[in-house]
Amino acid sequence: MHIPDGLMDPLVAGLGWLEFAVVAAIAVYLSGRKLRDKDLPRVAVLCAGVFVAQMLNFPIGGGTTGHLIGGALLAIMVGPVTAIVGMTVVLLIQALMFGDGGLTAFGLNAVNMAVIAPLAGWGVYTIVKPLVSRGTAGPGKAFTPGEAFAIGAGAWASVFVAAAACAAELAVSYAISDGAYGIAATVSIPAMLGYHAVIGVGEAIITVGVAAYVLRVSPQMFKSTNREPAKAAGLRGMLSSRIVQATAAVSVVFALALPLYFLYSSEGADGLEMTMEDAGVAESEPLLTSPFSYGETYFAAFFAGILGFLAVGLAGLFVMKVLEVRRPAE
Amino acid sequence: MIVAHVRGHHTRPEELDEHARASWLGRIDPRAKIIGVVVFVVAAALLTRTELILASLSLAVAFAAMSQVPYRHLARMYLGALPFILVASASVALFAGLERGFDMWARTSSCVIALLVLASGTETFELFSGLRRLGVPKLVSTLLMLTYKYVLILGDELARMKTARRARGFKGGRSILDRRSLDVIGNTAGMVFVRASARADDGYEGLRSRGFRSDMKLMRAPRLRAGDIAFVAWFACVSSILAAVQLGGVG
Repeated sequence: MHIPDGLMDPLVAGLGWLEFAVVAAIAVYLSGRKLRDKDLPRVAVLCAGVFVAQMLNFPIGGGTTGHLIGGALLAIMVGPVTAIVGMTVVLLIQALMFGDGGLTAFGLNAVNMAVIAPLAGWGVYTIVKPLVSRGTAGPGKAFTPGEAFAIGAGAWASVFVAAAACAAELAVSYAISDGAYGIAATVSIPAMLGYHAVIGVGEAIITVGVAAYVLRVSPQMFKSTNREPAKAAGLRGMLSSRIVQATAAVSVVFALALPLYFLYSSEGADGLEMTMEDAGVAESEPLLTSPFSYGETYFAAFFAGILGFLAVGLAGLFVMKVLEVRRPAE
Repeated sequence: MIVAHVRGHHTRPEELDEHARASWLGRIDPRAKIIGVVVFVVAAALLTRTELILASLSLAVAFAAMSQVPYRHLARMYLGALPFILVASASVALFAGLERGFDMWARTSSCVIALLVLASGTETFELFSGLRRLGVPKLVSTLLMLTYKYVLILGDELARMKTARRARGFKGGRSILDRRSLDVIGNTAGMVFVRASARADDGYEGLRSRGFRSDMKLMRAPRLRAGDIAFVAWFACVSSILAAVQLGGVG
């Protein structure tokens, strides 16, 4: 999934760098506050472990193989924010030392594999785990079948969503450069999604296997670098909730797709408008006129998208808060 | 011996540093090398006109030839990246024509060759110290240095584990439905992490005893010399000409 230089349209590559710079700055700041000097070699060996585990090819069938990406695994072991920094380091070594993944495309590679993969993987794992995990692990087992399913689901989602992002970037590059860069959506989307849906299954099985092995042999590896947040009251307490954090992680993944989506969005009529046009039905005056519009230019539409995204996010938080207040005390 | 990367080309990392020591490129300040090559790669990635792409490819090949890094070593590393380049180029050729597919191959190759020369012509820790001096955050540069150190150790351990697995008759499995193979691969990866973790505390104590305080100490004088400035100026000049002709439609 490493994009080389010269494959992406410069605008898409620049957008990737911009997104990566913002997320990496936040991740470095938060990790710097959380990690002590003593934690650095431990995080480094886990990053090295991910790098080396990527050398382990597993069979897909028909003579082809895939390899572990490790974004979800690292996020589950050290937390999503440190995993972003750790995966960035792994990708930097690959790009600088082995020419794997380009410099101009480094922003996009990092967004896909160092930001989207850990956030999607950790977010799905954290949201799914309380829904499916019941009781305690049996004798000789590292975790319950529900927990194993949550880890597997997180690992699969990390690969699939990162591959979807990569396919979208290729398709947008092709579309906006009139074929000079990128790969057509008709090729990139089915090929990337189909192949990585299967690779994701391998990633899920191996991630569960690795987590089970590590939990059995060295459980402190999970505890030492991924401490539970301290209990707090009010807004701070809500932000320290794992579910809220996981929802935020998944929201960040969607937010990263927004600028790309607005590059690709067509100015043509949508399905309903086409049908109305074909049937000769004219749009009548609206009963209610909105004070906002999507805008005519890219930046106006992009700004409207951000506003909409924030509005939906805040509305969701408000609904959660109301439900929390109405829930009877346990 | 470490397997250099997932692509499967076998390179001892110490070989990379040997090439850097033997080359004049190794004596250029790493900051100058990083800036020069990045400027060139950005300009090369912008090009869409075939004649300009060929010019940038020729410049990258000339840079490789002048670098004194053995061409066999560069060719071996380039071959590792070639399958990815060819897949992208073939997809473009299929949908946008042979000429655009060729442009994609040449453009990507010129960037990859320049990067491989930078990596091979610079000692690893010099490269990391160059990044630190260019403003890469302390946390990232420290993790880069430590991760690379552990990658070498764990890569060797993985190679030994693979040999032991082969000696016991493990052949890698047939498909994703081969449960036993995936169990073995999962356990191997798990063992890599556990062994990695076991080394972390010893590694930390060793670093502390050598004066490590969460940031790398930069030993070389930070002043750029005339040769360093000439290196950056040459790349900036060449890249500006390529970009100007591309964007201005000159010629």
